[in-house]
Amino acid sequence: MSKIIEVNNLSKDYKITSSRSGLSGAFRDLFSRNYKHVTAVNDVSFHINRGEIVGYIGENGAGKSTTIKMLTGILTPSSGSIVINGMDPHKNREEYVKSIGVVFGQRSQLWWDIAVQESFRLLKKIYKVNDADYKRNMDLINSTLEIEGFLDQPVRKLSLGQRMRCELAAALIHNPQILFLDEPTIGLDVLVKMKIREFLKEINKEYKTTILLTTHDISDIEALCERVIMLDEGKIIYNGELESLRTSYAEGKEIVFEFKEKKAKAALEAATSSLPVTWSHLENDLKWIAKVHKNEISISDVMAAIVEKHEILDLKVREVALEEVIRKIYEEGIRNGQVS
Amino acid sequence: MHSVSVMLQYMAQYIKTRLQYRANLVIEFVSDLMFQGLNLIFILVVFGHTSNLNGWTRDEIIFIYGYFLIPFTLFISFFNIWDFNDRYIVNGELDRVLTRPVHSLFQVILERMELESLLGAITGFIVMGFAAARLNISLSLTDSLLFIPFVLGGTLVYAGIFVMIASIGFWSDARSSIMPMIYNIGNYGRYPVDIYNKAIRFVLTWVLPFAFVGMYPSAFFLHKKEWYTYAYLTPVMGILFFGLAILVWNTGIKRYRGSGS
Repeated sequence: MSKIIEVNNLSKDYKITSSRSGLSGAFRDLFSRNYKHVTAVNDVSFHINRGEIVGYIGENGAGKSTTIKMLTGILTPSSGSIVINGMDPHKNREEYVKSIGVVFGQRSQLWWDIAVQESFRLLKKIYKVNDADYKRNMDLINSTLEIEGFLDQPVRKLSLGQRMRCELAAALIHNPQILFLDEPTIGLDVLVKMKIREFLKEINKEYKTTILLTTHDISDIEALCERVIMLDEGKIIYNGELESLRTSYAEGKEIVFEFKEKKAKAALEAATSSLPVTWSHLENDLKWIAKVHKNEISISDVMAAIVEKHEILDLKVREVALEEVIRKIYEEGIRNGQVS
Repeated sequence: MHSVSVMLQYMAQYIKTRLQYRANLVIEFVSDLMFQGLNLIFILVVFGHTSNLNGWTRDEIIFIYGYFLIPFTLFISFFNIWDFNDRYIVNGELDRVLTRPVHSLFQVILERMELESLLGAITGFIVMGFAAARLNISLSLTDSLLFIPFVLGGTLVYAGIFVMIASIGFWSDARSSIMPMIYNIGNYGRYPVDIYNKAIRFVLTWVLPFAFVGMYPSAFFLHKKEWYTYAYLTPVMGILFFGLAILVWNTGIKRYRGSGS
């Protein structure tokens, strides 16, 4: 597969002034400023193939938006190189942005006061889209995103869900090869989220559009991405398949037991002493979670050991949620390729 | 060519937006007309007290004032970038602009233009015509042809200076109060420069060349031969200053840091 995005040793430093406290501090600032260097993105390298959907995740302030802004040509990198579609985003900005679409969940790309269709018309002109392409594109957009009903409304009168769908449509008017989405589903209800995901999958299939998205909603990632790049304090800490993130960092499964009577932790541990299981409390001493550490051990062994001595009302076997895995990684970082 | 069609599309959008707020449109139109009328009375009253200023007659000064209003109006209508720093840099609106395949300054100008301010040009023409009639000035065909490059040159001088000031925002976080100050200095361009001392004359000609907006080209139409060289320089200064401004802008935009999130 051909690489469409290639990023090598990309860094972005900011020099920020830190102000001293108090009035006397303000006077001192007048004569000598204190500068702080902040590295938002630190020596990041990755590549993305044509037609891939990749999730770019990390905590707030990890450097996701800064990376996206460098990739879209908004910010100039401090060092390192970006080659997208054979171009350097900040050097041939005007030529380059014709091949990309950008959606910032936090900021509208549309004109606030004019009807959505007028915004689209303006964008059609800016991107020099011909009528036939425009119509074909809009039909596809309409069939999934269903924006026809409010095209004649000004953006400021739309609900967030309606607006986001329009933002997506606006970013795709010129049928870009690459789509950058910065938190596209922030604050949206489940139904709109579903629609947006469905739509993204469709354009990815139909036009082979490469998509890079940042999100805090792990279900977006699960629904769309095969690969994730995880960022922490400006550095990539994981770059690979979503599935292997789950399997390598969260081995095993969890069994949730609901007992008939209250149990003490010691009693449960005693029952499974020969097995690699850790117990944790779920609620009111009746519900307990057994975390089975190794995949080789069959769950039935654990269940058998418990059922033998304790009466149970209900049990559930569940996979460790991806959200849980990612929360752990955010909290503790990756050490030696293992979640510590 | 593409830029022109993009510009026309923006203008059409602008007019459509304006038409959406009907009441507002009428009020604005009426108040604009009233403002221009007041302006006219004010000029006549002020200049009613001066009969002669360093060899310039009252009517000549009124002519310069009228002429000055035309490039000034064009500048006000198309380069409405007073709040550039707050709106585009601090609020990060420039992010949006930078993801589109049109030059960033061009987009900012198109987004911020205020076409209704063009009404001020009418006042300019009335004042100029009034003074010209009293002075018995006759304009040859060449004179009228030069009117356009002179007006555009003056507009570009103004635009160049203010685009450069707006670009300061790329280097400094602080909201500078330099803009209103320069704006006031701009008003000195509507008086004959030979009433000022040498230093001020130099500044108004070569540093902040506001004299090219009003006084120098007007002197040409008033047939004052001693100022012809300066008058012919008007389009040159316009292109020079605006070109320099674009250079400063393009350098500055690389330092744009965006806002959080």
